Amino acid sequence: MSEITLHDLEKQYGETTAVEDVSVEIRDGELLCLLGPSGSGKSTTLRMIAGLETPTSGTISIEADDVTDQPAYERNTSTVFQDWALFPHKSVLENVAFGLKMRGMSKDDRQKRARSMLERVQMGGYGDDDPTNLSGGQKQRVALARSLAVNPDVLLLDEPLSNLDKRLREDMQIELREIHEDLEETFVHVTHDQDEAFTLADRIGIMNEGELVQVGDPDEVYENPKNRFIEAFLGDTNFVDAVVTRTSSDAVHVDTELGTELVLPTDGEPDVDEGTGLTLSLRPEILSIDGETGRPEAAGKQPVATDGSAHNAVTGTVENVIYRGSTVRYSVSINGSSMFAERTDASTGAHASGDDIRLEWDGEDVLAFRDDGTRVTL
Amino acid sequence: MTSTLHRETVENRVFQASYLALLVFMLLPLFVVVVTSFSQAGRLAFPPESYSLAWYGEFFESTRWLRAFTNSILIGVGTALLASFLGVTGAFGQELDTDDSLGAILQPLVLIPLLIPPVVLGITLLMYFSEVGLRGSYASIILAHTLWATPLVYFVMRSVFSRFDWQQLDAAHDLGAGPVRSFVHVVLPNVKHGILVGALLAFIISLQEFVMALFLSTPSTTTIPVLAWTQIRQALDPMVSVVSTFLILISLGAIVIAAIATNLKWLSKQLS
Repeated sequence: MSEITLHDLEKQYGETTAVEDVSVEIRDGELLCLLGPSGSGKSTTLRMIAGLETPTSGTISIEADDVTDQPAYERNTSTVFQDWALFPHKSVLENVAFGLKMRGMSKDDRQKRARSMLERVQMGGYGDDDPTNLSGGQKQRVALARSLAVNPDVLLLDEPLSNLDKRLREDMQIELREIHEDLEETFVHVTHDQDEAFTLADRIGIMNEGELVQVGDPDEVYENPKNRFIEAFLGDTNFVDAVVTRTSSDAVHVDTELGTELVLPTDGEPDVDEGTGLTLSLRPEILSIDGETGRPEAAGKQPVATDGSAHNAVTGTVENVIYRGSTVRYSVSINGSSMFAERTDASTGAHASGDDIRLEWDGEDVLAFRDDGTRVTL
Repeated sequence: MTSTLHRETVENRVFQASYLALLVFMLLPLFVVVVTSFSQAGRLAFPPESYSLAWYGEFFESTRWLRAFTNSILIGVGTALLASFLGVTGAFGQELDTDDSLGAILQPLVLIPLLIPPVVLGITLLMYFSEVGLRGSYASIILAHTLWATPLVYFVMRSVFSRFDWQQLDAAHDLGAGPVRSFVHVVLPNVKHGILVGALLAFIISLQEFVMALFLSTPSTTTIPVLAWTQIRQALDPMVSVVSTFLILISLGAIVIAAIATNLKWLSKQLS
C-alpha cells in the first residue's frame, strides 16, 4: 500500500523512444489502468515501476523513497505477467511460496501463507499440482496468488487477462476488482482493452506513442477527452469534418461535410478563428433517431427539439442495418458521407435499408478537435 | 491380386536400405576392433584364430595403461567442468545482453580454436605453457582440451537457452531473487539437462583428443590415445583393441546418459 510517483520518465531503446515524459502520481490504494494501443509504452512503463527496465531518465518513487536505481529484486513490487511466467519445475504451492522463500521466511510459515493465498484465489486444492497442467484461468489465479503472497507495496498487472477467452476474462475482471477492494492495495493494471479498463479502474491513464495523454476517472476521460486520439480510441464515434464560418460570443457556427450548417454553443468566447478546420465528434448515444432517444444514456436529457439554439438535425438514407443483439446499428448516408446511429430497442420502430431517417442531437454534446488533434474548448 | 508398390514406398525402402548399408560400412571398423580385443594371439589379426580375455587381464595388470586411463578420466572431468562453466556463462551472458553487441564479438571468437589445426594449436600451446610454467601439468592439457570443448558446450547452451522462457527470470527477480539465487533456483533447474549434455560432450572430446595431448603430455600425464599411439609404434598387439573398446564403451555410456537425461522428463510426461 503506497503512493507511487513517476516523474518525467523516459525510456529509449537505441534510437527508438518507447516512453516519453511520463509523470503521474498513483494514489495510495487505487487501481490505475494504463490503457493504450500496443506499442504505446504502457508495458514498458509498468516494467520500469517493477525495476525490470531501467529508465533512460526520470525518477520513480514509492512512498517518498526514490527507487529509480533499485533493481527489481530489491523493490517491494510484484508483477503478474502476461504469460504468467509460472516456474514449470516447481509445484503450484512452491510457486506461490517462492517470493516468501526469497524473503527468508521459514518453510512452515511460507507454506501456510502460500496455502491461504491459494484459498484466496480459489485454487486451494491445487497446491501439489504441476503448473504446466493447469488451464489459462487457473494459471492466472496462481500467478496472482504468487504476486500477492509477498504483500507488495504495489501490484503490477501486465495484461494478465489478455490470453483468456472473453467469458473467463470478464469473470476475472470482476474477481480482480473484488480482490482489490478487499485488500485496499495499490494496483497498476496495463491493458489494451477499454472495457477491461472501465470495469476495473478507479482511474485510467491513456497512453499513446510513449506519452501519457490523460489521466482521470473513467467517466472523465470518456466524456471529457483531452484530444482526438482518446475520443477515437474510447468507444465508437462519428467524426465529421467541418470549417468554422462564424464565431459569436456564445457559439461557433460551422459548415460540415454533411451539407448543413451546425451551431456549437460555447460557454464563453470561442478559442477558434473563422476558417479553422475542425473535426466534430458525434457519439451514437447523443443521436436520437426520428425524435426518439437512442441509447438509454441519452434518455434522461431534455427533449432535443425544445432546446432551440443548440438543436441540430440532419436527414439521410439508411444504407445498412446491422443487428447487434441489444442494439441495432444504422449506417446512414448523408450528403455523400456516412454516419452511424444506434437504437437500443431492436424490436420497435425499425428502419430498413433505403428508408429516410432523421438524426437529431443537442449541439452541447458535440466535441470539436483541431487538425492537430487538440480539443477545442466550447 | 497383384500388389503394386507405389513410387514413394519404393523410394523410401531404397533410401532406408542404402542408409543402413552406409551405417554398417562405417560401424564395421568398430566391430573389428571389439572382436580383435578378445583375441588370444600376440598379434593383431581379423578374425582372431582363438578367443580369450587374456589382453583384458594384461590391461588391468599394466600400471602404464591404468595410469593413462586415470589421466584421461581426470583430464576429461577437468575439461568437462571448465568448458561447461565457460560455455554456460558465455551463452547465458549473451542471452542477457539485449542489444546483442556482445554476441557479435563472442560468437566468432568462440569458434576460432575449432578452426586452427590441432598441430598448430599443440605447438603454440606447448611454447606458451613453457613460458608460464605449466608445462607437463594436467592443467595444460585440460586448458588445451577446453579450447576445443567450450565452443561445443556454448552452442549446445545457446540452443538450450533459446528454448528457455526468459520471463521466468523476470518473475524471479520480481519476487526478490537476486542474480545468483534466480540463476540457481529458476534458470538452472530448467537447463540442467542441457548442461549435462554439454558436459558429457566436452568429456568425450577430451577423452578422444590426441594431437594436442601428444605435444603437451609427459610420461606422468600421458592420456590413453597418446599411450596407444606410442605402443602401436612398438608392437601392433590386441592391447590397442582392448583400450579402444574401453573408449568406445565410455563414449557410448556418455551418450546413453545424455539421452536419458534429456528424455527423462519427456518420458515421465508420457507415462503420467
